[in-house]
Amino acid sequence: MSVITGAGAVSPLGRTSLEFYRRLSAGESAVRPYTPEERGDLQATHVARYDSFSPQPEIPAMKARRFDRGSQFAIIACAQAIAEAAYPVADDPGAIGIAMGTGSAGAGALTEFLRVLLVESPEAAPPFHFPNTVANAPASQVSIELKLFGPNVTITQKDPSGLNALLFSSLAIDSGRARAMLAGAVDEWNAVYAMGFDRVGALRGEDRVSGIVQGEGGFAVLLESEAAARGRGATILARLGGIGTAGVPTEPYRFVPDRAAIARAIRGALDAAGAPPSGVHLWLPSANGVVEMDRAEAAVMSEIFGSDVPRAIYVKRAIGEMAAAGGAQMVAACRALADGEAAFPADARPRRVLVNSFGAGGNFFAALFESPE
Amino acid sequence: MESRRRVVVTGLGAVSSIGSSVSEFWPNLLAGVCGIRPVSLFDASAYRTQTAAEVSDIPDGFLTAVDRRRMSRADRMGLVAANEAIAQSGLDLSREDPARIGVILGGGTSGLLDSEAFYEIWLNGGRGRPSRVLNHLPDAITDRIAQRFGLEGLKSTITTACSSAANAMGYAYDAIVGGLADAVVTGGSDVLARLTYGGFNSLRSVDPDPCRPFDRDRRGLSIGEAAGILVFEEEERARRRGAPILGEFLGYGVTSDAFHMTAPDPSGVAGARTIRAALDSAGRNPSDVDYVNAHGTATPQNDSAETAALKVALGERAREIPVSSIKSMIGHCLCASGAIEAVATVMTVRERKIPPTIHYENPDPACDLDYVPNEAREGAVTLALSNSFAFGGNSSVVVISRYE
Repeated sequence: MSVITGAGAVSPLGRTSLEFYRRLSAGESAVRPYTPEERGDLQATHVARYDSFSPQPEIPAMKARRFDRGSQFAIIACAQAIAEAAYPVADDPGAIGIAMGTGSAGAGALTEFLRVLLVESPEAAPPFHFPNTVANAPASQVSIELKLFGPNVTITQKDPSGLNALLFSSLAIDSGRARAMLAGAVDEWNAVYAMGFDRVGALRGEDRVSGIVQGEGGFAVLLESEAAARGRGATILARLGGIGTAGVPTEPYRFVPDRAAIARAIRGALDAAGAPPSGVHLWLPSANGVVEMDRAEAAVMSEIFGSDVPRAIYVKRAIGEMAAAGGAQMVAACRALADGEAAFPADARPRRVLVNSFGAGGNFFAALFESPE
Repeated sequence: MESRRRVVVTGLGAVSSIGSSVSEFWPNLLAGVCGIRPVSLFDASAYRTQTAAEVSDIPDGFLTAVDRRRMSRADRMGLVAANEAIAQSGLDLSREDPARIGVILGGGTSGLLDSEAFYEIWLNGGRGRPSRVLNHLPDAITDRIAQRFGLEGLKSTITTACSSAANAMGYAYDAIVGGLADAVVTGGSDVLARLTYGGFNSLRSVDPDPCRPFDRDRRGLSIGEAAGILVFEEEERARRRGAPILGEFLGYGVTSDAFHMTAPDPSGVAGARTIRAALDSAGRNPSDVDYVNAHGTATPQNDSAETAALKVALGERAREIPVSSIKSMIGHCLCASGAIEAVATVMTVRERKIPPTIHYENPDPACDLDYVPNEAREGAVTLALSNSFAFGGNSSVVVISRYE
């Protein structure tokens, strides 16, 4: 099974994985009310934007202009993960690849390119933006910037896209396609997308109790085979115990609070890791404000764990919901296992952390991360 | 490695500008029928060019009127192709464990044509119907196929631009080999949209006339749309249930050029890495390759870089084998191109017939391989590669062989 040797985070709750986890576990939240100007006629009342983000110092200003916002998040988060892992990319650039999940990457370039095309004329549309309209722009810009020649994919499959990318990465390592993979997720907040999500009723708002708060950020972990990590003397933050998945046939945009599917995903992760429910100490819920889904998740957790439901840290209450939230949960799980002190007394550091990530369209993922000891 | 699970193809489905089933598409490919025509889906008069390989017939009569209204064009094309592929596979879904059957597609434009209309109304101060953006995200088709056929296994949508579907098939292969699924409905569906049409035009990458892959006078691509769906299945169980085995998916290579967002590495070194990774994955050598279904977009840069990549990766073998681009007939179907081209490649190894590269008139010194010009050919193809190279330097090559 693969292990994690580095983590990176670029988020409104911290610009490194350590800062992100420290503030998350201290109960801070980046969710804030929309300003009247950015809100316009949205029903939605809250958002978790990364207002103070600057791509400097990692990306010089001249260069940063070439990248869309999501690519900037991804480049910095991935560079952090590689640096923490002290992974020698240049020794064999073909051995390391990247898989990123996203729901919105390319949104800024796409909406701007289309705006000019639709309002002015097709001939006026700025060619500069077109290559960044593809959802794979962040992962590909990472591969170009960090010179990674290995596998390179971007996955869009609703909220669990980050865990889906983690699954792709673990298969890439198991099959020998790569020795190391950056697995993560990235999203950028975009005004037009916010309007679209608001109009279809997905965002929590004045007259809507059930719905998500949008966020943005980039998150990545460096995954490698345990043998390779030990062979190069790397410090192991966490071991990926197992991933469970379940699908429910439904409309692409419908949330289905299907308890059997939730249980199948969670039990799949526990079984793959060979872990009994009693051995899980921390739970990073999928809960994102979609009331029926959150209730079903809590009910299934009680069913599986009985009176032993693990302590929960609600990542999405702190940074909002997006595909990238799954990446944030992965990073938080690894940090909790590696540096549990911030949230746990030293003698109660978690040994196993469960991450749940459920989305619309009947998409259910769960992953179990374990202490390497 | 001895006991590695094998992955076979048991069903194919195709919707394209030259046929809305495999039984129409395949003979038209062999006959060199060109599907590139004037654009009708939107008013193209203000664009630099006015042609594309549009799908004119989506035989979705098995869907209800309500379903059709709720779905995007890409959804409907994907469902038609999936319906054909699953029917051919003979999978009796009422008797299968739905949790062991996944859906992994390449996606991109999805419901974009509808979202563009919604956005245009909003930009002009109006309020369009929100139902028009419900299918915006590329994963909609994946969920739709799972919904329609009651599949509960692993679902994923890969969005790596023009290599999306090739990578999706690779993920499907790894998922079956790794024991996460026993069968996966894979491939992709991608449609024309103003974003992509305007985008490639803004980069001056579109030929105003039907594209001419590998020709000296090529001037760019023709944009197309298509759905290609393949049913992948673990070999033992496919044999046990007496499924039609149409070919074997031997492996794939996925790499980053790490070179440039839009330009290929002209030396061919980056593309050759992907081809070698694919052959390694399949456990085969350059001398085993009998045919290459090229990416062959007909942009000046791609075709010479791809030719160079084949020569670097395959050595002398590159000069001995046929290489053809069906984009000369169905255009560049972007995120579905790897899927529809894999359908053609499975048919090639099965029928031992090689589709041509049409519109080929003048040899280019930088493209000096055998491109099967203008006429289909008989050929004993046992093992074939299908190349997909994308924006971002996302390269993927799949290896398909005759099943024996």
